[in-house]
Amino acid sequence: MNKETILKEIRESLVEMEEEKVVELCEKTLELNIPAYETITEGLIPGMDEVSRLYEEEEYFLPEVLVCSDVMNAGLDIVKPHLDKSSMQEPIKVVMGVVEGDTHDIGKNLVRIMMEASGMEVHDLGRDVPLERFIEKAEEVNADLIGMSTLMTTTMDGMKTVIDRLSERNIRNKYKILVGGGPISQNFADRIGADLYTKDASEAVRRVKEIFGRA
Amino acid sequence: MVPTIMQKRSNLTEKERLLKVLKGEAVDRPPVICPGGMMNASVTEVLKDIEENHNIDLDAMTAAAKAVREITGFENYGVPFDMTVESEPLGAKIDLGDKFIEPRVTEYNNKSIEDIIQNYKVNPRDSHRMGITIQAVEKLKNDEIPVIGNITGHISTATSIIDPLYALKMLRKDPDKIYRFFQFIHDYSKEYAVEMIRAGADIIAISDPTATGEILGAKNFERFAIPFYKDMIATIHQFHVPVIIHICGNANTIIDSLNDTGVDAVSFDSMVNMRFAKSKLTTRLMGNVNTQLLHTGEQGKIESITKNCMDSGVDIVSPACGLSMATSVKNLRAMTEFVKRGI
Repeated sequence: MNKETILKEIRESLVEMEEEKVVELCEKTLELNIPAYETITEGLIPGMDEVSRLYEEEEYFLPEVLVCSDVMNAGLDIVKPHLDKSSMQEPIKVVMGVVEGDTHDIGKNLVRIMMEASGMEVHDLGRDVPLERFIEKAEEVNADLIGMSTLMTTTMDGMKTVIDRLSERNIRNKYKILVGGGPISQNFADRIGADLYTKDASEAVRRVKEIFGRA
Repeated sequence: MVPTIMQKRSNLTEKERLLKVLKGEAVDRPPVICPGGMMNASVTEVLKDIEENHNIDLDAMTAAAKAVREITGFENYGVPFDMTVESEPLGAKIDLGDKFIEPRVTEYNNKSIEDIIQNYKVNPRDSHRMGITIQAVEKLKNDEIPVIGNITGHISTATSIIDPLYALKMLRKDPDKIYRFFQFIHDYSKEYAVEMIRAGADIIAISDPTATGEILGAKNFERFAIPFYKDMIATIHQFHVPVIIHICGNANTIIDSLNDTGVDAVSFDSMVNMRFAKSKLTTRLMGNVNTQLLHTGEQGKIESITKNCMDSGVDIVSPACGLSMATSVKNLRAMTEFVKRGI
């Protein structure tokens, strides 16, 4: 089997949710001395991109996306130890969470999964996250982007508080701010001074890549 | 003309009006309700004179249900005020909330589905807040004001007990196992609904916010949600009690399948175009005043959106989704009073 065929099969098997097959194929890439970097960027990640596309087109839904992301991670586990670090671009670093007062995290988790699947480094603070924590963590890991999510109108204003605090400390420009969740709109994002609002997870990944010139 | 309308209006009690509408009979104007459960109006301002936690204490729960109607003008009593009542006895850790924040799951039960099915027996009457809610229905029962017993759908309860992402993956990876889990939850939820009816509930409302077309997709919705709703509704109908079901999110892809459930009324989120829904549905339609608008909007805008709802032919006017507890009484009254003034 040549490189092109095997990478194509990885992409297709990932989309088809065939975990064992993807693992097997990834092992094969190692035997064939295909660089791990290529397996990731030409096999696993494009496979997951196809999953995002199917999700946006409402062919796939949350259960399918979640299973595909598990398949991707199973593949990554095989090839990642063999990755030549210098070949990889520095990943986009993201700090994200559901703002304080809210525990709804399905949407946020989906964004995390899709961001990780596209190669970003995600620091997930979880749910019901104290506002200050977003800033502390972003400073600590030297993040590029802070992502905040909420499903409740009561907690929306917390997002503005985070942005205001960043401005007060003159560090607002160090980060791009992404906001999302049920009650959030472009209008709200503009009003609080966020850089980016997207209506779903796969759009979030695409737009974040665009903002950082990785599209 | 005005006196005749007034005359006609006063003939119907709130209970008669709502039950007639649910049967498809003509009435003077649509009822305006907030069923309770996920979609409740026990906002902070309504609770200010209630001392104990209305989510746990029987008297406080009853008083809160009455306060909602008296203070906001919604034409029903409805309990409970959150959607963790059914998941609590199955090992999920719940923060029981207060006057500012609703009860919510803080930790999932991380045991396996088999373990949970084997080791937990749920008898609704003896199960903490299910029991309290049943008693509250008993106390609220009366001749004039409809009492709505609220239940959380099996998919939302399942995803409050175990990690939602795990549960959703199981729809693909082990559909039979997750189906058994849904069945287990469904069975005791059904007993709970029946107990509420025996206690005097006039109507049962089901909310299942995790079971949306957007999250599950239409195929999964038809496979994992619809059969249980059908069975639940058929059981409730044996007692001649009508059922309202609330569907979150964009429901366009699943509207058709709702017609087959036997439900009496469907409630939709604000993003659903009610004229479109009306054209598709054979049941009664409830909704869908935007809850964000109710929270932060101006009175005039609330009135015009309420009018818009009525013009698009909803049979029952209600908020479109769960209300923020910070919603003002003034805004809720803008909505209820507009409906009561008539078109």
